[in-house]
Amino acid sequence: MKKFLESRFLRLIALAAGVFATSGLAPAQTHYVLTNDDLAFPFQTGVGFFTVGTNGLPVFLQQVHTGTFGIGGGYFGMNRLAVLNSASQKCVYASEALNGFIVGVDISTLTVGGITSGSDTDAGTTNGIGMVMNGNYLYASFSDSNTIGTFAVQPGCSLTFIGDTSVIGLHGGIVNGMALHGSILITSYTDGSIASFTISGGTPISNGDEQLSTATVTSQDATYANAIDITKDGHYAIFGDTSTALSVEVSDISSGKLTKTTVFKSRASISSSNILLSPDETILYVVNTQGATVSALFFDKYTGKLSAGCTSGPLAGLSQNWSYLGAVVPMSQSGNGGGVFVAEFGTVSGIATVPLTVSGQKCSVQEAKGSPTADPNTPGLLSIESFPPRSF
Amino acid sequence: MRGMSKWVLAIAVCGLPFLKPMAQDCPARPATGTVVADPYSINSHGGTLTAHFTLGHSVDSAGYTHFCYKYQAPGQVVEAPTLRVNPGDVISLNVVDGLSPDNSMKMDMAAPSGPPCGDGGAATINSTNVHFHGMNVPPICHQDDVINTLIQPGSPGFQYNVHVPTTQPPGLYWYHPHVHGFTEFQVNGGAAGALVVNGMEKVRPEVAGLTERVFVIRQQYLVPWIPGPYELTVNYQTSFLAQFPVIDMKPGEKQFWRIANATLQDFLELQVQVNGTAVPLEMIALDGYPLAQTRNQTTILVPPAGRAEFIVQAPSSGNAIFVTNAYSTGPTGNADIATTLATIQTTTSTAASSHMPESTPPSADGLKFRNLAVQPAATQRKLYFSEEFGGTNGPIQFYITVDGQKQKVFEPNEQPVITTKVGAIEDWTVENRALETHAFHIHQIHFRVLEIDGKPAANTDLRDTIEIPYWDGKGPYPSVKLRMDFSDPSTAGTFVFHCHILLHEDLGMMHKILVTP
Repeated sequence: MKKFLESRFLRLIALAAGVFATSGLAPAQTHYVLTNDDLAFPFQTGVGFFTVGTNGLPVFLQQVHTGTFGIGGGYFGMNRLAVLNSASQKCVYASEALNGFIVGVDISTLTVGGITSGSDTDAGTTNGIGMVMNGNYLYASFSDSNTIGTFAVQPGCSLTFIGDTSVIGLHGGIVNGMALHGSILITSYTDGSIASFTISGGTPISNGDEQLSTATVTSQDATYANAIDITKDGHYAIFGDTSTALSVEVSDISSGKLTKTTVFKSRASISSSNILLSPDETILYVVNTQGATVSALFFDKYTGKLSAGCTSGPLAGLSQNWSYLGAVVPMSQSGNGGGVFVAEFGTVSGIATVPLTVSGQKCSVQEAKGSPTADPNTPGLLSIESFPPRSF
Repeated sequence: MRGMSKWVLAIAVCGLPFLKPMAQDCPARPATGTVVADPYSINSHGGTLTAHFTLGHSVDSAGYTHFCYKYQAPGQVVEAPTLRVNPGDVISLNVVDGLSPDNSMKMDMAAPSGPPCGDGGAATINSTNVHFHGMNVPPICHQDDVINTLIQPGSPGFQYNVHVPTTQPPGLYWYHPHVHGFTEFQVNGGAAGALVVNGMEKVRPEVAGLTERVFVIRQQYLVPWIPGPYELTVNYQTSFLAQFPVIDMKPGEKQFWRIANATLQDFLELQVQVNGTAVPLEMIALDGYPLAQTRNQTTILVPPAGRAEFIVQAPSSGNAIFVTNAYSTGPTGNADIATTLATIQTTTSTAASSHMPESTPPSADGLKFRNLAVQPAATQRKLYFSEEFGGTNGPIQFYITVDGQKQKVFEPNEQPVITTKVGAIEDWTVENRALETHAFHIHQIHFRVLEIDGKPAANTDLRDTIEIPYWDGKGPYPSVKLRMDFSDPSTAGTFVFHCHILLHEDLGMMHKILVTP
């Protein structure tokens, strides 16, 4: 019997190991919601770590002090955090726009790794520094110098600056949102331009496809594309618009270049500055920055088409505690994400928890009881990330 | 708009180089805690009101610029006098821009598309002109054109000859600069004054023989130029700590108060309180138009640029206070804070004040727009206010859009977004799709309020400025339905409609309408 049990136990161990090996799953990692605790001079800033409680709400764990200075705000479509989850290291990089620094924090030890800056002329002191990264490079958009700095990932959660690429919208727009997939990097600008770059060699090289988004040209309610997301297979790029309605655009990038965007518009809320595809790509979460709501649209990853979904009521604390909604991350990294965590920017900044329920082609998004969770270390929370990050 | 953003926006848009010590041009302003005097009045004689204004400014030690209209009265220079005219008069107003010809602050704007009126050139913070707010006068050069008229520093001046129609409703109007991009700067704490069209007692005999008071409520930011913390003034008198402007009344006396909201953005929710309780105020007129029937209200909401005229009765003893309550302008709006505007002191030794003429047989016959409610509208339009934020520090866009058109901010050289004809009666539904309250204003005409939020308005008053509350993120957009009357041939021309929160107007929440002959 004992041998039988030992045998069964060993077989279970072996089975579990086999499952992990074949699925690529590592032993469970702590689920963090990360915050860029953006503070303007003279207050030094840091990166906040929140765990997720059994009720699904973030719980503040600690702040890793970076000793640098932010600007306490900026563009909505930029993410001021970038997460690296490679086999060799787990890092979160935070941009600190006043100094122009990018600070790496080791997620395993919750300590600061490297602090890096770009060129002498790189600057994002007015509206911030956005970031995206893959396993090898981090790309930082400096909104004042209108440059994209390329940084090589180094051990110890540090970076090495490689060089700058000057960028600009067709009508002088400032670089705003960024997203990357494989060898393509896509940018948006404040004048309504969108553009793509090849990054197969590391440094971005223009694909020569810069264009005004369709909504910028034709839509009654939208002015320019802001945040960007890209499907897992790299077929579609999706743009959330700065607008006075809900406005999202989709471009087929399967050729490796941007094509004319198609527009999805709804009067369900106001503005669409932040967007996020769910892990299974069935839902596009839209943060209605100006409307103080979160919308969920149905997305067909095979056709790139969006269809109407649902919109939450105004999130709690608007005006009293916070003024703007910022970045968005999924509550979980499987299925449709189960909802989202959303950054709230204001004197009492925090993280809203907004679960999603789907039944057929109907859905509901409503803020969770007990939400939001205050971030005690900043009145200027615009950027959050998740660790482990979404897989694409 | 959200405070922090506006601070940064103001600096980003305007910069700070103009915050340098300059002239001390403006007359001294009254000391805090003193009895409020009415503005100096200039009356018309023989059918003409003649006056000469010089736009000046003073800069305090903090670099705070106060613009002012200076007028040389006998023995003294006074600031922003009240112009008093009769229907049918001509306002002959000569305006000299006495500011420094320092063009350090320009906005990158296209020149107006029409023929220049006045000095022409580029609009700068030192350029000026005059808008006669609420007056039903032609939108043409030398009368009430604000699109093409520019008066530049150093020029000999500009002559206005405004023909007040014989049908102009008697009531309170006001005048202020209206150079696109810079209106807020010049109105901020200074350049604005009252304009009274005589004859209210002929329409509303309730005011006959009463002591008349004119109070112009202005607003000035505490941090120079930055739309943040502010103070309100009553006829240029500020409050400080527990010291407030003092309004003298005799015990139990009824006075006729004429209030102009000349603030930049403040929605005034006015009350007179006795022992903490708001007392009834007998409403006489709104926006210069006598009400069809008087009504008692304990609270009167006056949007930026609006006017309210009402009868106040002093307590039989003791004091009262004149206040504006806190007013929510929405999640992205400015906080309009509760403020004691003045204390009302009952005294038997009040200073001499002007009195309304005795009553004549009342008649509202002949007033413009009198029958507007029963005139059918041939055209329906929908417009809406909206706001667009790209980040916490901007860019921020303020739009008023004709439904179906592409949203855009105002440019001086734009084509009119609405074209209509003299004789047209139209119904405009104006929605607010922003999380901030806005104040709709159209030049040259009054409109009749038909509906609020799709329901018949309880008070179908004639107005020239009206508040549209913020959208709360749920349900239908707040709206007003307004009947517009372009039947008077004097409306022919191009003029503007806009939000009268002046920062919004300056940043482009405005468009042109063309009325063809």
